[in-house]
Amino acid sequence: MDRFLRWTGIAIVIFIAAPLVIVVPMSFSTSPTLQFPPPGFWLGYYAQYFTDESWLRPTFNSLLIALMTTILTMALVVPATFALVRHKFWGKGAANVMMMMPMAVPHIVMAVGYYSYFGSLRLVHSHLGVILAHTCLAVPITFLVLSANLKGFDRTLERAARSLGATPRQVFIHITLPILRPGLLISALFAFIQSFDETVVAIFISGRDAETLPRKMFDSIRQEADPVIAVISTLLFVAVFLGLIAPHVLRLFRKLFSRAAPKPVRATRNTQATTPQEVK
Amino acid sequence: MNPYLQLSGVNKTFGDFTALDRIDLDIEQGEFVTFLGPSGSGKTTTLMIIAGFEDATRGAITIGGHSLAGLAPQERNIGIVFQNYALFPHKTAAENVYFPLQMRGVKKAAGLAKAEEMLDLVGLKGFAHRYPKELSGGQQQRVALARALVFEPDLLLLDEPLGALDKNLREQMQIEIKRIQKRLGVTTIFVTHDQTEAMSMSDRIVVFSDGNIEQAGAPLDIYHRPSTRFVADFIGESNLLDAVVTDAEARVAECPALGSVVFGAEGQPPVVDGQEVALLIRPEHLKLSRDPKEGRMNAKMVIDTIVNYGDNALVIGHRGDTQIRVRVPGADVVILKEGEECHFSWTEDAAFVLDR
Ligand SMILES: Nc1ncnc2c1ncn2[C@@H]1O[C@H](COP(=O)(O)OP(=O)(O)OP(=O)(O)O)[C@@H](O)[C@H]1O
Ligand SMILES: [Mg+2]
Repeated sequence: MDRFLRWTGIAIVIFIAAPLVIVVPMSFSTSPTLQFPPPGFWLGYYAQYFTDESWLRPTFNSLLIALMTTILTMALVVPATFALVRHKFWGKGAANVMMMMPMAVPHIVMAVGYYSYFGSLRLVHSHLGVILAHTCLAVPITFLVLSANLKGFDRTLERAARSLGATPRQVFIHITLPILRPGLLISALFAFIQSFDETVVAIFISGRDAETLPRKMFDSIRQEADPVIAVISTLLFVAVFLGLIAPHVLRLFRKLFSRAAPKPVRATRNTQATTPQEVK
Repeated sequence: MNPYLQLSGVNKTFGDFTALDRIDLDIEQGEFVTFLGPSGSGKTTTLMIIAGFEDATRGAITIGGHSLAGLAPQERNIGIVFQNYALFPHKTAAENVYFPLQMRGVKKAAGLAKAEEMLDLVGLKGFAHRYPKELSGGQQQRVALARALVFEPDLLLLDEPLGALDKNLREQMQIEIKRIQKRLGVTTIFVTHDQTEAMSMSDRIVVFSDGNIEQAGAPLDIYHRPSTRFVADFIGESNLLDAVVTDAEARVAECPALGSVVFGAEGQPPVVDGQEVALLIRPEHLKLSRDPKEGRMNAKMVIDTIVNYGDNALVIGHRGDTQIRVRVPGADVVILKEGEECHFSWTEDAAFVLDR
C-alpha cells in the first residue's frame, strides 16, 4: 500500500512538473519557434523580452490591472466578509450565494456578458473595464479564503481586549488585524493571481490599449509561436518559486540572527516581588 | 456602609428564554466570592453583564456607589480571566501583560517593566519573551491572571479559569490565585463547577440555580446549613430523607426510613408541628459498626457497594427502600463486606432539617 502511494505520488509530481521540464529549456533555445528539444542554447529571447515594447507594455498592463484589482477586491471583500461571517441580517443567504456566483458561471459566459454590457458603458478596451471584470472574478476565491480565516478567529480575544481597556477601533487595529494578517495576505495574493492569470475575459474586452500579458501570449502563440512565451513562463515560474521559498529563507535568517545575539536572561530569582501598587 | 459591588434585581432574557430571573447580590470590597451552580444556571451570563458584554434586561449594577449603566466594557476597569485564557497569540507574555497599560497610555519602556514585575508576582520570572504557544496551560493561566491584574482593576472576574488544568496543577493554581488575590486585595468573583474548589477558596459562595440565587453564604454555612434541598444536594454529598415534624418544641421528626429522629443541629429554620421536611445527615457524620454504638442513634442497613478512595471510602447501602451513604476512614474499610448487614449511627446534632 505504502509503495503504491509512493509511486502514485511520484507519478503526480512528474505529471505536474513535466511542462516545466519542457518550457524552461525552450526559453534558452536558438530556434525561431517553440521547438522541443531545442537545437541550441542562447539568451537572445531574454534580451528580446526585456527590450521589446510590444512585450513590456502588456507586462506593465497586467501588473497594473492585477494590483488595482487586488486593492479593489480587498476593499470590497474584507467588509463584506466581516458582515457575512459575524452578523445576521435579512437576505444573508442570498448575499452569500451572490458572492460565490462568479465562480460558478463559466468565464466565457461572463466574458460575453462583459463584452456587450461594458460596450454600452464605453468600458471595453480600457484598463478600468478589465479591472472591474477581474475584481468580480476575484471576489469568490478571496471571500472563501478570508471567511475561513475569520470563522476560525476566536472572538473571546476581542472581548478580552475590550475588558483590558481597548475601544472597538483599537481592538481592530491591535488584535483583529494583526492576527488575521496572514489570511489577508493570502487572500490578496489570490486576488492578484486571479487577475494576472485571467485570459478569457481579457481576450474579449482588453483590446489594444489594455492588452494583458496572457492575451498577448495567446495572440503570439497563434501567430508565430514566439519562444519569448517560454521566457515569460520561465520568469513567472521563478517569481512564484521565489515567493514560495521567501518565508522559509526569512525564517532561517531570523534564526541565525537571533542565535548570534541571544536574549539576556536575568539569573537572580527574587521571590518577594513587589506588588504593582508599590511599583507605582 | 454600602456594599462595594451591588446587583439589584438583575434580569436577563434571550427572546422568550429567561437566563437570569432576578439576581440580588451585595459584595464587599476585597471579598473573594465564588459563583457555583450547574451548567446553564446563569453564572457566565451574570459575569458578562457585570463586564458589560451583555445588557441586563432589567436591574442595576453599581461599583463603589457608581452605576455601570451606559459604560462600555473598556470603560469599566474590570479584569477578566477567560476559561481559554484568551491570550493574544501574536504578542509575547510581557506584551500581553503590557496591553492594558498601553491602552491607558503608559509608555512602552515603563509599561513593559511593570508587566515583567507582574509576571514575577505570578511566578513567571524569565518567561516574559515567550509567545503563548510556547507556554504550558498553567503558565498561560498565570499570564492571563497577570494581564487582568496589572492595571489595578476595581474588580476581577474569573470564569472557570482552572477548567482545563489537571488535578495537581489545579490545586497549585487555586493556592496561587488565592495568594495573589489576598496580596493585592482585589475584589474577586470566581466561577466554578467544582464544589471543593469553591469550598477551599471562597470567602463566600453564591449558589446559582435556573437563573436565581439559591443561597449565598460562607462555605461552611452553606455546607452545614443549606437552605434548600437543591443546595444540600449540590454541595457535598448528602443523605436527604423525607420526614414529618411531630414535635417542633422538642425538635423531633418522624422519618419513615429511620423512625423517630431528634434534629439537634444549630441554625435550623423554624418548623411547626406536622410540617413536611427533608432530614439531612452528611455521610461523614455517620459511623459504621457491627454492634449498636453507645450514646448515639443507631439503625441497621445492608451494604451494597464500597467505593474506595484510598484515604477514605464511600459505603453505599440500603435500609428498606432508602439509600444510605456513609463516608468512612480508609483504615476502617477492611472490616466491611458488600452484602453484609451492619449498624450505622449518628448524633443528634448531626441531623438538620430543611423545607422539603
Ligand atoms: N446569547 C444567548 N442566546 C440565547 N441563550 C443564551 C445566550 N447566552 C446564554 N444563554 C442561555 O442562558 C443560560 C445561562 O447560560 P450561562 O452561560 O450563564 O450558564 P453558566 O451557568 O455559565 O453555565 P456553564 O456552567 O455551563 O458555563 C443557558 O441556558 C444558555 O443557554
Ligand atoms: Mg459559564
